[in-house]
Amino acid sequence: MKIVGIVGSNADFSYNRLLLKFIAKHFNQIVDVEVLDIQDIPLFNQSNDQTNSEPIQRLNRKIMGADGVIIATPEYNHTIPSALQSVLEWLSFKIHPLDGKPIMIVGASYDVQGSSRSQLHLRQVLDAPGVNAVVMPGNEFLLGEVHRAFDENDNLKDKETIQFLETCLKKFIRFINVVNVMDSPEGMKDLSSTEDLHATGKIETTIEDIDMLADDWVEQASDKTKAVEGDTYVKLDRGVLTVNQLNYFLKSMPAELTFADSNNQFLYYNYKYEDEDMLAARRPEQVGNPLANCHPERAFSSVAWVIQQLRNGKEDVVRTHVPTHGPDKFVVHSYQAVRDEDGNYVGINEYVKDIKPIIDWYLEQTGQQLTGGEVDAVSGATSKVDTVSGATVKDN
Amino acid sequence: MNNFIGIVGTNSDNSTNRMLLQFIQKHFADKANIQLCEIKDLPAFNKPEDRKAPDKVQQLSDKITEADGVIISTPEYNHSVPAALKSTLEWLSYTNQPLIDKPVMITGASYGRLGSSRSQTHLRQMLDAPELKARIMPSSEFLLGFSLQAFDEEGNLKHQNKIEELEQIFDDFVQFVDITNQLVKTNHSPKKQTKSFSWEDN
Repeated sequence: MKIVGIVGSNADFSYNRLLLKFIAKHFNQIVDVEVLDIQDIPLFNQSNDQTNSEPIQRLNRKIMGADGVIIATPEYNHTIPSALQSVLEWLSFKIHPLDGKPIMIVGASYDVQGSSRSQLHLRQVLDAPGVNAVVMPGNEFLLGEVHRAFDENDNLKDKETIQFLETCLKKFIRFINVVNVMDSPEGMKDLSSTEDLHATGKIETTIEDIDMLADDWVEQASDKTKAVEGDTYVKLDRGVLTVNQLNYFLKSMPAELTFADSNNQFLYYNYKYEDEDMLAARRPEQVGNPLANCHPERAFSSVAWVIQQLRNGKEDVVRTHVPTHGPDKFVVHSYQAVRDEDGNYVGINEYVKDIKPIIDWYLEQTGQQLTGGEVDAVSGATSKVDTVSGATVKDN
Repeated sequence: MNNFIGIVGTNSDNSTNRMLLQFIQKHFADKANIQLCEIKDLPAFNKPEDRKAPDKVQQLSDKITEADGVIISTPEYNHSVPAALKSTLEWLSYTNQPLIDKPVMITGASYGRLGSSRSQTHLRQMLDAPELKARIMPSSEFLLGFSLQAFDEEGNLKHQNKIEELEQIFDDFVQFVDITNQLVKTNHSPKKQTKSFSWEDN
C-alpha cells in the first residue's frame, strides 16, 4: 500500500517532518510512506494561477498515485500554517487530487496541546467541497511537547506512543479499504477491501508482539508460546503422535500444503522442497507473514474473493488450475475451508498438486483415454443431458 | 476622530472584501479616518531564524501599531481563512506582535449564501492566540453573502437593511475602540518574551 505523507510546514526544521520520517521508517513493513515537503509550493493567489508549475504538478501526481495521504500539521495561531493552507488552496482550485482520497491527520507541537486546534481546523478545511477528502474519524494523534519526544536517532522515545501510532496507522489501512468500497462504481468493486489481507486484526490464537515479517518468526513465536517439538507427544482427534511423526506425516502428503488462519496470517507449510522446486513457491522465512505480503498487489482482489467464498460458507473448496507449468503438468490449486466443530471458519488449507500422474495411472489401469476437446466428446455429453431431461419429463 | 486601518484579507486582484472595505471607508468618513491596507505584496511566511520582519511586513506592522483600531475583511477559502491572510498574521505574530491588545472588528464577504461565516469563526480563534492576542469585538458578525450582486456601480451596498446592520456594528466598534484603549492603557498586556513563543520548531 502506497501512502504519501505531507509535511504541513515550510520551516527548515520541523518536528512534524521528523514525525512523518519516523512513521515512514518505523512502519515500513506495514506501509510504504513517501514523505513530501511543501517548501517549494508558492503562496496561493487566485489572480496568478500556477497550477501547472512543476512543484504543484509533482504533488498532484504523487497524491493521485497514492492509496492514502497522511498530513502532519503544526499549529500556528490556533490554526494550520499558511503554507499548508496554501497547498490545499492550490489543490482545490483548478485540480482536485484529494477528492475522495482517504486522509489521516497527525500533528506535533511544542506545547502540551499537540496541535489539537489546528487538527480540527484541518478537518474542516479538508471537508470543504473543493477539497472533498475523506478524513478518518477519531484516532486523533496529538504529539505535545515534541522537543522532548525524540531520541538522538530521531526515534520516538515513548513505547506507548509508538503503539498508539501503530494502532492509528493500522486503522487507517482498514479505513482506506472502506473508502475504496464507498467510491467504487457499482459492479466494479475491488474485492481486496473485503478481506483484511494485511492481518491488522487479531484472533484468539494470534501470537502477539512478534513482527509478522521477521525472518525468524517461527523461532520467535515458538519461544514465546513454549511450543512443543521433537519427540513430545500431542493428542489429536483421533490418535496420539509425536511432533516429529506429525511432521513426517504432513510432509508425506502428496501435495504442497499451506495453512493461513482466519486473520489471514500464513502460519504453516509442509516444508519439504526449496522454493525453486515447488509448484507454488514458499520460503521458510515467509511463515508468519500476512497474506498481503505473500501475493502481488494485483492479486489481492482474487485472493480476497476466494477467502470470502470460504469464510461466508458459500463454498467449501475453490479450485483453480494453473496452466503456466507447461503441457506435461496438470497443476491444481485447491483452497479448502478449514472449520471447527461448529462450522466456524478458522482458516484456509491450500493444497497444490500436479494431478497428471494420477490421471495417467488411472487411465492406464482402466484402459481409458482422454478425448480432449473433440466434437464426439461434446455430442456424447449432449446426449447425456438428453437422458437427464428425459428423466425430468418422466417425473412430471 | 479615531484612526482605523482596514486590512483586505486576500491577495486576489478582484475582491468583494476590498469593495466592502472601500464602501466602509467612504460611508463612515465622518466617523473615522480609515486607511486601507493590502496584503497582496507581502512575501509568504517562512519562519526565518532571525525573526526579522521584511520591509512590507514592517510597514503594515507600523500602521497597525499607530492605528486606534483594525478592521479585517476576510473571504472564505475551503471553510477557512485564505492562506495569504494566515501568512500575514503569522508574520505579525512571529515578529513585532502589533495586534496585541489592538481592537479588531471582523467583516467578510463571499460569493455564496453563507457570507464567510466559517472563516470568520476561524479568524476569531486565530486572533485569540497568545501571540496575536487582539481585542476582538464580541457579539458582532457582519456576513455579506452573494457579494458579487451586493454592490451597485458606484460601489455602494444596494440593500438598505444591510447598510443599517453595518452602521449599527460600526457605531458599536467606535465605542468598543474607545473603551478597549482606555482599558489596555491602564492594564497593558506585556508583550510575550521571544523565548516563550509557543510554536517554535513545529
